[in-house]
Amino acid sequence: MNGLVKILDGNTFVVSDARGDIEASPTDPTGLFSYDTRFLSEWVLTINGDRMNPLSVDDLQYFESRFFLVPGTGTVYIDAKLSVIRRRAVGNGFHEELTILNHAEEPVDLTVRLDAACDFADLFEVKDALKKKGAYSARVKGGKLVLAYDRETFGRSTAISSSQQARVDKKGLTFKIRIGPHDRWSTQLDVVTERLGVEDSEREDPAKSRRRMQKGLERWVNEAPRLECDSEPLRETYRRSLVDLAALRFSPRIAGGHSLPAAGLPWFMTMFGRDSILTSLQALPFASELAATTLRALGDWQGVGLDDFRDEDPGRILHEMRYGELTAFEERPHSPYYGSADATPLFVVLLDEYERWTGDRRIVRELEVEARAALNWIDEYADLLGTGYIWYERRNKKTGLENQCWKDSWDSISSRDGRIPGFPRATCELQGYAYDAKVRAARLARLVWKDAAFAERLEQEAADLKRRFNRDFWVEDGEYFALALDPDGAQVDALTSNNGHLLWSGIVDKSKADAVAGHLVGARLFSGWGVRTLADGEGRYNPIGYHVGTVWPFDNSFIAWGLRRYGFKEEAALVAAGILDAAEFFEGRLPEAFGGYERSQTMYPVQYPTACSPQAWSTGAPLLFLRTMLGLEPHGDNLMVDAALPSTIGHLELLDIPGRWGRIDAFGRGRIDVDARRG
Amino acid sequence: MAGRRKGKTSDAIAEFFAELDRRGHEPLLENARGSARFDVTDGKQTDRWLLTIEKGDLAVSRKNAAADCVVRVDRAAFERAVKGKFNLMAAALRGEFTIGGDLRLLVLLQRLFPRPSRRRRRPSGNKP
Repeated sequence: MNGLVKILDGNTFVVSDARGDIEASPTDPTGLFSYDTRFLSEWVLTINGDRMNPLSVDDLQYFESRFFLVPGTGTVYIDAKLSVIRRRAVGNGFHEELTILNHAEEPVDLTVRLDAACDFADLFEVKDALKKKGAYSARVKGGKLVLAYDRETFGRSTAISSSQQARVDKKGLTFKIRIGPHDRWSTQLDVVTERLGVEDSEREDPAKSRRRMQKGLERWVNEAPRLECDSEPLRETYRRSLVDLAALRFSPRIAGGHSLPAAGLPWFMTMFGRDSILTSLQALPFASELAATTLRALGDWQGVGLDDFRDEDPGRILHEMRYGELTAFEERPHSPYYGSADATPLFVVLLDEYERWTGDRRIVRELEVEARAALNWIDEYADLLGTGYIWYERRNKKTGLENQCWKDSWDSISSRDGRIPGFPRATCELQGYAYDAKVRAARLARLVWKDAAFAERLEQEAADLKRRFNRDFWVEDGEYFALALDPDGAQVDALTSNNGHLLWSGIVDKSKADAVAGHLVGARLFSGWGVRTLADGEGRYNPIGYHVGTVWPFDNSFIAWGLRRYGFKEEAALVAAGILDAAEFFEGRLPEAFGGYERSQTMYPVQYPTACSPQAWSTGAPLLFLRTMLGLEPHGDNLMVDAALPSTIGHLELLDIPGRWGRIDAFGRGRIDVDARRG
Repeated sequence: MAGRRKGKTSDAIAEFFAELDRRGHEPLLENARGSARFDVTDGKQTDRWLLTIEKGDLAVSRKNAAADCVVRVDRAAFERAVKGKFNLMAAALRGEFTIGGDLRLLVLLQRLFPRPSRRRRRPSGNKP
C-alpha cells in the first residue's frame, strides 16, 4: 500500500495513486469502496491526452486530500504553464473539485478527459481474485454517467456527474475548454454510490458532509484527555492514535448515528466482534462512546438460533459482518458470521468495564437479556466436549474459520515440537476470558440486576473454572500455561504471548504469576521491542510468521495491562516502553504486527509485509499503554492513579480524563530504568 | 400448525404472524419498541401485516397504517423467510427486500424468524 493515498469515512474509502488516479487490477485494493463493494475501479485524468505528473499530495484530513499536479509524463519536459489541483473528499462516494490554472500570457484550449469504469468487485473477490457472475452496463442519463452491475435482484450502481457541462459517454467525461491568460477553470465532480434494497434517504450535500466530518473530528480530539509530556514522539503517537481512531469509526445504519470502531483499512472496514470490543476496551478512558455503541450493536445482532452455515448459536456474539455480493448470495457466511470463540465472553467483560468507568447503569439494565444469553452460551454451547471449557470447531467446513481465537491463521496453534492439534481446540486465553466474564457478571448481577443467587452461582463457577484451569493448563516443566488443550485433553505446550492475556483475565493463581511474568519479559518471548506471539526456540517459531513469532502491539497492550493487574509494574513499563519506542519508527502509527527479531540485532522494528494500516487495535494500543503506565483504575466513584513510567518518557500528564468522577488529571514521572532492564 | 400439515404454502405467512400474535410476549425483544409493516406482494395483490412491539409485547394486525419500519417483499421470498429457509440480512443485501425507516428495529425482529439448520448435540458432560 506504499505510495498510495487513502481517504475514508466509515466503511467508504478511496485508494488512489499519488496523481489521484485509480487504475485497479482485479487483485489490488485501489478504487472507491463502500459497503465492501468497489464502486469505481478506473478514474484517470488526462489533459490533451497527457497523464498527470504528481508534484505533491496534502493529506488534509483522513477524509480529504489534495493533489498538486502538472500535465506530462516524467520522461519529457514538463509544461509548467499549467497546474492542476484535485481536491477530493469522501462521503456517499466521493466529491472531487478539479481546478486547472493557466500561468501563460496566452489563452489555452484544452481537452480534459476523465476515464471511468467499474468492476463492482466484492472486497473478498479482490482479496481472493474471484470471477463475477452478473452483468455490467453503462448508460448516459440526464447528463450523468451511470455504471451498473446486476445479478438477479442484486444491484449496485455508480453515478458520475459534473457541475460544468461535459460530453458524457459510456467510458467517461470530456470537457473542451478554453482558459484565458492567468485564469482558471474548475468543475465539481460527484461520484455517488447506490445500493438496491436500502433506501438511502439521507443523501448529504458534499460541502455539508465535509463540514460535518471536520467538526466531528475537532470535537473528538477536543473531548479526549489532553496529553502533556516531555517525550515529543509520545505526544505525536497519542495525537496520531486519536485521529486514526476517529477515522476508523464506523456508524452502522442501525446505530442511529453513533459509531463503533471498524477493524482496519483496507480489508476490514466493518463491524468485528473481537476487534470492536478490544479497541473499545483500549479506548475506554479516552472515548467511552465507542464501547456503548459496540455493546448495543453487537447485542442487537446476538445469535438466537442454530445455523451451521454462519456458525451461529443462541447467545453468541458475531465475529464479522459483510455487505458485499458474496455475502448477499451466501457464497460467504458473513451476514453476519459468528465463528469467534472469544467475542462472547469479551462482550460481558466490556459491559462491566464500561460501567466501572462511566457509571452508566442504564445500558447494563438494557443489555441484561443479552449478557445472560452470552453467559449461557459459554456453558451450554461453547463447551463442545462437556469438560467445562470453551472449545471451538467450525460447523461451516467450507468457508468458516478454523481458528476462532485472535490468532486465527492456520498454523497459529502448535506444540513445542511444531505439531498442530485436531479439533475441537480449547485455547487458554478463552478460558481466562470466560473466568473474567463470570466474575464481572457477578458484580453486575448484584449491583444492577439485583440477582444475588445468580451472582453466587457465577462466582462459584468462576472459582471452579480457575481451580481446574490452573491444574489442566499448567506446564510443569516449563512453568507457564499451555497454549491450548487438544481434543483428548492433552496440553498443546508451546510458550506463547497468550500467557499475558491470562494475567489480564485474573485466572492465574497468585503462586504462578511470578513465573508467568518472568517468561513474558524473558529472552524467549521479549524481543526488546515487545512480546512475541510465539517464543523463540519453539518448533514453529518464525520472526516474520503472522502469529508464530511477530510482535503485535495490541497483544502487548493487553499483556501490559495483565502485568499491572498482578502488580508487575516494572515489567509492564518495560513492555510499554518497547512498543512506544517502535511507534516512533512508524511516525506514531503502529502497524498490525512487526517482526520478532531481537532489538539488539535490528536497530528498527521490521514491519510485517502485508500488515493492515491503520488498524483499530494497533491504534488503540498506545491508549491502553497510557492507562497501564499511569496505573489508572476506577475505584467506586474515584479514579485511582498509580504511575509507573519508563525513564525514557520523563514527565507525563494526562488531563481531563472523563468518567463517573467527572474529569480528573493524572500525573507521573518516569523512574523505571528500562534500558538497564533490557540489559 | 394445521396449515403447515396441509402444505399449503400461502398459509405459512399468515400462520407465522398468527403465531406471533398468540405468543403475545417475546423476552428476546424486551428492548424493542416500535412498529413494523410487512407489505407482501404477489403480482398485483399486496397483503399487509402490522407488527407492534412494546417492550417485548407483540401485537399483529392487518391495518395499513404508518409504521417505524416498512419492509416490501415478494410473497415467495417471504415464505422462505418465515420457514427459516433464508437469512434476512443476506436477502436484504441481494435486494429481495426493500427496507425503509428504523433499521435497528428490523435487526431485532430477525430474532422472530426461525433459523435454517441444526447442529449436532454436544456430548453429555462430565466435568472433573
